[in-house]
Amino acid sequence: MNKSDILVGIDLTKTYGELAVVKGVSLAVREGEFVSLVGKSGCGKTTLLSILSGLEHPTHGQAFLAGKEITGASEDELALFRRENVGFIFQSFNLIPTLSAWENVALPLFPIQMSEAERRRRATELLDRMELAHRLEHLPAALSGGEKQRVAIARALINNPKIVFADEPTGNLDTATGDAIMAILNQLHREQGMTILMVTHEPELAKTADRVLHMQDGEVLS
Amino acid sequence: MNLRYVFKELTHQKRRTAISVLGLSIGIALFVILNALSLAYHEAARAPLKEVGADITVQRPGNVPEELAGAVFPCSAVTIGEEEIEDIKAIPGIRGMGKAVLLWIFDPNRAWIVMGIEQNNPVGPSILKNFITEGRYFETGKPEVLVEAAYARQFGIRLGDHVNVAGRSYPVVGLIDASHASKIAVANLYLPLAEVQAIAAASKNLQSVSPFAGEDVNLLFIRADQDRIKAVAAAVKGILGEKATVATPESFLKLLGSLFALSDKFTLAASIIAMIIAILIAFKTMAGNVAERAREIGVMKAVGWTHRNVTMQLLAESIIQGFAAGLLIAQAAAFALGFMTVNIPIPWEMSPTPHFLPGGGDPLFKTLRLPVHIPWSLAAFALLLSVIIGGLTGALLGRHISKIKPSEVLRHE
Repeated sequence: MNKSDILVGIDLTKTYGELAVVKGVSLAVREGEFVSLVGKSGCGKTTLLSILSGLEHPTHGQAFLAGKEITGASEDELALFRRENVGFIFQSFNLIPTLSAWENVALPLFPIQMSEAERRRRATELLDRMELAHRLEHLPAALSGGEKQRVAIARALINNPKIVFADEPTGNLDTATGDAIMAILNQLHREQGMTILMVTHEPELAKTADRVLHMQDGEVLS
Repeated sequence: MNLRYVFKELTHQKRRTAISVLGLSIGIALFVILNALSLAYHEAARAPLKEVGADITVQRPGNVPEELAGAVFPCSAVTIGEEEIEDIKAIPGIRGMGKAVLLWIFDPNRAWIVMGIEQNNPVGPSILKNFITEGRYFETGKPEVLVEAAYARQFGIRLGDHVNVAGRSYPVVGLIDASHASKIAVANLYLPLAEVQAIAAASKNLQSVSPFAGEDVNLLFIRADQDRIKAVAAAVKGILGEKATVATPESFLKLLGSLFALSDKFTLAASIIAMIIAILIAFKTMAGNVAERAREIGVMKAVGWTHRNVTMQLLAESIIQGFAAGLLIAQAAAFALGFMTVNIPIPWEMSPTPHFLPGGGDPLFKTLRLPVHIPWSLAAFALLLSVIIGGLTGALLGRHISKIKPSEVLRHE
């Protein structure tokens, strides 16, 4: 394991009964690197992302994130770890329908002792960067797909994460909007040195990353 | 727990909130209503005594007069001796005592119900001075009479008239509307206590049934410490004998015969059932909420909410719903129940009217609106109950919530 590696997976395996979804995967992501994990639907890439981000325990193997082994941690330890180190962007946005744009962005801060004004200030700043300053009070239902995903990106960044995991971030968007979202992710990577691990099934999108990992039948090929 | 999030969930998910509110509030509302009703019946049972400023009334039953002529005691209220009165006064917990003498006086042309009352005493029938409709109250030491207003109307008695009672003449100085006063201190004529004591002492007919000395009485009105009423009543019986009629709010409560009045045990048992219902409904409702919001809970966990954070958030929603709706429904029910009237039966032995006179055998009732209200202490307890139910439900649902894996519920289809 290299000192500059922020994310390391060693011989990761995930099985559901007899079915092996991830088979002995080992990989490493350096700090500040943008890595794409590309593969067909059902090849195990989302499961691998879940293991590497601490959302799921592997059946076998070890995962290290920001220098901490996460594979043996409890659910609550992992939640606290994710709160401080990890940002998520999902294909389906996964915004809370009853909360406004800024409240959705501030969702990871709700369990933290912090003034309402400070939460709002931080969320507003990020939404401003996403060019959504005029949508602060809007509910998700009143936002377009692209706007929802930009809110989700702002939410992923609210805790100043060490790494962002993006699972098919453009999967529910049209091409133009998807390109705009990719532009934001690339900008984050270039300008802020954000480490990003992105799962996608579109090779063209994957190419925009520093490095592309191909996955097939639960195994990483390159 | 984030209150902003709680508020948003409750206000935006109207259908879910409405269903939850209905479900969760049933138990809490049932509990609050049962207890409010129980308190109301207890309050109502105090009314007949409260109107004479007392917590306890005391009389002693005796023999039926041999001859209905002159002044006699009703058989339900014979002599309570001066020494006995002093002994009763010394019972711990007694804060005040009023005395009266009730006589039936059979003059050749008319029968009177006459009550001798004290000049000034906040306990007992002298509080009737607040019900003077015409004229004035007694002046100290003067042999004067007050006439019950309806009786005066019926027999054409006016202020300034003189009435002859047991061979003595008294000027009418005031009329009293006793219809708003208690049913247990009602008479046709009210005289100073000393006058009636003198009439009683001079009556051979009365003395032959129940010897009576100058300072004796036959009705006592006692104000006591609220938590010692039962003990005082028992002590009075100890002095006057077990046959003494000692009326307390509890004895009136028993007469009410209501389900709620039967015993405090009923309210306790019903409250426990209400709490079990509340827990079951809260559990069912929250379980439904958890299932419906699995994806949302997955998001919360993914972005760093711990199991406790999520549980506390859901609990806060349930507690606020249960408490607010429970109190609201209970308040509405209390308002509606407040229109109910309750008839409190007055025991025959406390009725001043001879049963052989027209209307004398009719059952007497004190009718009043059921005083249903929800005291702050009950509201506070309902809040505590909501928290306890919420906590229990949360503990029961802990496994449900922990079973929700973000990786499973957030998978895109």
